[in-house]
Amino acid sequence: MSKAAVKISSDLLSNPLCEQDPQFLKSMTALDTAMRRMDAFNQEKVNQIQKTVIEPLKKFSSVFPSLNMAVKRREQTLQDYKRLQSKVEKYEEKEKTGPTMVKLHQAREELRPVREDFEAKNKQLLEEMPKFYHSRIDYFQPSFEALIRAQVAYFTEMHKIFGELTEQIDQPGLTDEQRERDNEARLSELKALSIVADD
Amino acid sequence: MEPIYCTVLPGSPDELGVPPEADKTKHKQSLAIEELLSTERGYLNMIQLCAVDIRNRLKQKQLPDFDLEGLFANIDDVIDVSSKLLYQLELMDTENPQYLQALSDTFLSMRSELENTYKEYCASYSNILILEARYREREELDKAIQETITSTAPHTNATNLSFFLVMPVQRIARYQLLLQTILKNTEPSHPAYRSLQATVDSTVALNSNINEYKRLKEVADKYNKPENLTLMDKIYRINTHSIAKKTARLSQMLKHEAGFLPKTEDKEFDALEEYFLALERGVADLQDNVSTFVKHFEEFLSRRPHECELDIETEVAFRNYKELSAILHKHIYPKYMHRLKSLVLQPLCSLQELFACPQNMIRKRLHKLLDFEKIEEKRRETGSITYEEQEAANTYQAINTLLLTEMPKFNGMATQLLIRAMETFIFIQRDFAADVNHIASGYLQHLPHNKLPDYTFWSWAEGMFLKEAKSLQQISQTFEAELNPHFILPLTPSSQRRLSELTKRYKSEQIYQASSDIKGGRDMDLSLSRGELVAVIQEMDTKGDKRRWLVEAGGNRGYVPASRINPYHPTGQTASPSPAIVDEASKRHSVVVVSPAIESPVLPSLQVQEDYEVFAAYDFSARSIHEVSLRAGELVTVLEHHDRQGNPQWTLVEVQGQKGYVPSNYLMVVPVPGISASSRKT
Repeated sequence: MSKAAVKISSDLLSNPLCEQDPQFLKSMTALDTAMRRMDAFNQEKVNQIQKTVIEPLKKFSSVFPSLNMAVKRREQTLQDYKRLQSKVEKYEEKEKTGPTMVKLHQAREELRPVREDFEAKNKQLLEEMPKFYHSRIDYFQPSFEALIRAQVAYFTEMHKIFGELTEQIDQPGLTDEQRERDNEARLSELKALSIVADD
Repeated sequence: MEPIYCTVLPGSPDELGVPPEADKTKHKQSLAIEELLSTERGYLNMIQLCAVDIRNRLKQKQLPDFDLEGLFANIDDVIDVSSKLLYQLELMDTENPQYLQALSDTFLSMRSELENTYKEYCASYSNILILEARYREREELDKAIQETITSTAPHTNATNLSFFLVMPVQRIARYQLLLQTILKNTEPSHPAYRSLQATVDSTVALNSNINEYKRLKEVADKYNKPENLTLMDKIYRINTHSIAKKTARLSQMLKHEAGFLPKTEDKEFDALEEYFLALERGVADLQDNVSTFVKHFEEFLSRRPHECELDIETEVAFRNYKELSAILHKHIYPKYMHRLKSLVLQPLCSLQELFACPQNMIRKRLHKLLDFEKIEEKRRETGSITYEEQEAANTYQAINTLLLTEMPKFNGMATQLLIRAMETFIFIQRDFAADVNHIASGYLQHLPHNKLPDYTFWSWAEGMFLKEAKSLQQISQTFEAELNPHFILPLTPSSQRRLSELTKRYKSEQIYQASSDIKGGRDMDLSLSRGELVAVIQEMDTKGDKRRWLVEAGGNRGYVPASRINPYHPTGQTASPSPAIVDEASKRHSVVVVSPAIESPVLPSLQVQEDYEVFAAYDFSARSIHEVSLRAGELVTVLEHHDRQGNPQWTLVEVQGQKGYVPSNYLMVVPVPGISASSRKT
């Protein structure tokens, strides 16, 4: 967008009209300078926002893959746990024969570490996730401040630069209606010429 | 005879007698003057009737598709001028000796008004005729017109509007004749003669100007519109005449390019044209660029991050940001866009459109110039040219003159518009910046760090985020960390044998256990079952992929996914080495400790209590008469927890009525709540 703005003035500056009319050249040069300065400020603004908003956002998001993986693993562990649990229950329901008892015992042995694992994972997530979620508030606070500040800085400059330009123009500030009427008047004058078609 | 100075009364000369020669002239003069005046009155009357009554009636009828303005053109101005003229002429009494002077003065003073007004009207007259003809073709309109005329002006016997509308055209030419008559009948010695002569001359000039203007306008209208002809139209236009014409032009042009003929240089025109083209380019570029800018801005507007739900409403900075963005988007940005579009973009678009016709005219001029050159050549050589050629020459002259007079005006005005547009742009930008600044500064006041100068603020902000980046990394790592080492699956006897094999040749760190069934997919992949033990030979494959490890399992080597195997470090009780192959000859207590580093598989130590039962966990084949065979799942009775040498690794049990020693770790203690000792099998 800023580049489009610079193009406005640079194209006009390169127009041969500038050679013909020194006043035109002067005005266009001033405008072009102003646009380029604004572009520089814009770049600065972009950089600032990049560092204080965009990158922090990215870093914050990069935690999510790990988080998701941990959740998935917990899910897997839960599946294992459930599976082994049901196996144990199955054996418990069967007749208490020797082989069954052995298998039951074995199953219980398998179950135990799995259950512990699951509970540990669960606990960790339950603790860490809310902490992480909560941390976002403080984390992002500088970002929002930065956004507002960057705007203010940029537009202060813009106001100054364009204010200087307006002082160079002889025309006093007109209201919008006056400007519209002025434009209309000029256009109709032009249209009144014979070499311009009537319709 | 006495000179008779008497007013001429509308009566027959007989009453007064036949006037002498001088008087005859005078008489004629008076008549002429009177005619001028009375005809003017009549004329004015008529056009007023037409303009006011007829037009109003027609307006009231509200006829559809009826261009009232085009039909009546600037007849109001004509009426004004005529009234004024009449008023001036009637100010003085016609008999007043000063009258002729006054008459001349009136005409001379009103010359430019007359010219401008009638010039416009006459130029529009052809359009008036066209419109009228078109309307007369439509029956309903025709009837309405007739009706109106007959009701308002029955005395005229007029049947169409042009009866009235042609009057100004006739009138302006008439002035010349009337004045000439007056002049003819005025003595050269008359004090007002010179003025009168001047008046006549000026009327003549006036008329010729009007005609010229009309002609130019017609030429302009004919040529200024770029024609949009289809290919078919163009083909239909081809005839011998047009071919000849275009060929002649082409040859002329080639002669120019080849240098045979000097190009008619018109420096003035060329300068104008160059400026015109530069201007056109400038306006086109500007319009394009502003348009692109506006488009980008609108796209920017379509993104509204502040409308996303972030669930942190209570936070000061966020709230301010959100409100600020909302206001900007709702009020300030749209206002800026609107101003830009209506005050800059729109006039530029309109201006750009105006360039097309003059451009066309310039093109046509060039064509006609080529024709003209040929004609002039012919004229020089032969001395005479045909009527058509003269017409063509005239056309060229007309276009050329028109362009030379009007292009400077066009260029000037268009440049003015361009400059105005840029100035407006600058003002709009400044106002926009002021608006945003005003609001944003207001919100800035509410922010916690607003007192910090800019440089400090940015350093602080960046510092904060760098710090936070570290803690974020830590959080990530927390989530990634393995919480527990994967638990060790209990070993089957085959696994135990495998373990002993592997530990013979590999270090304990290399022993891994499969956490789930692994199905080898590719060549050189191994399939393992859950809990199987392997020894890792290399922690990557031949291609360097660290996720595929080369392992050995029971004499086979192959690749398995590294994620599915875990280091085999059983956490558990004290080392109770797996029962190694016991040398028959050696005593029971000597067991070969294969690897002191390996910890025992996780099996519960025998704790035989009242409410526990002991089962055989695995099959066991007795190898000597001191041992007894076991079947997995058999209930056994423990007699002693050690062998004769006190080695706890062997247990004396009774099973199936037989007694003997079995490896302690082949036994399983199972808590069986609710079963009393008495129900224990023996």
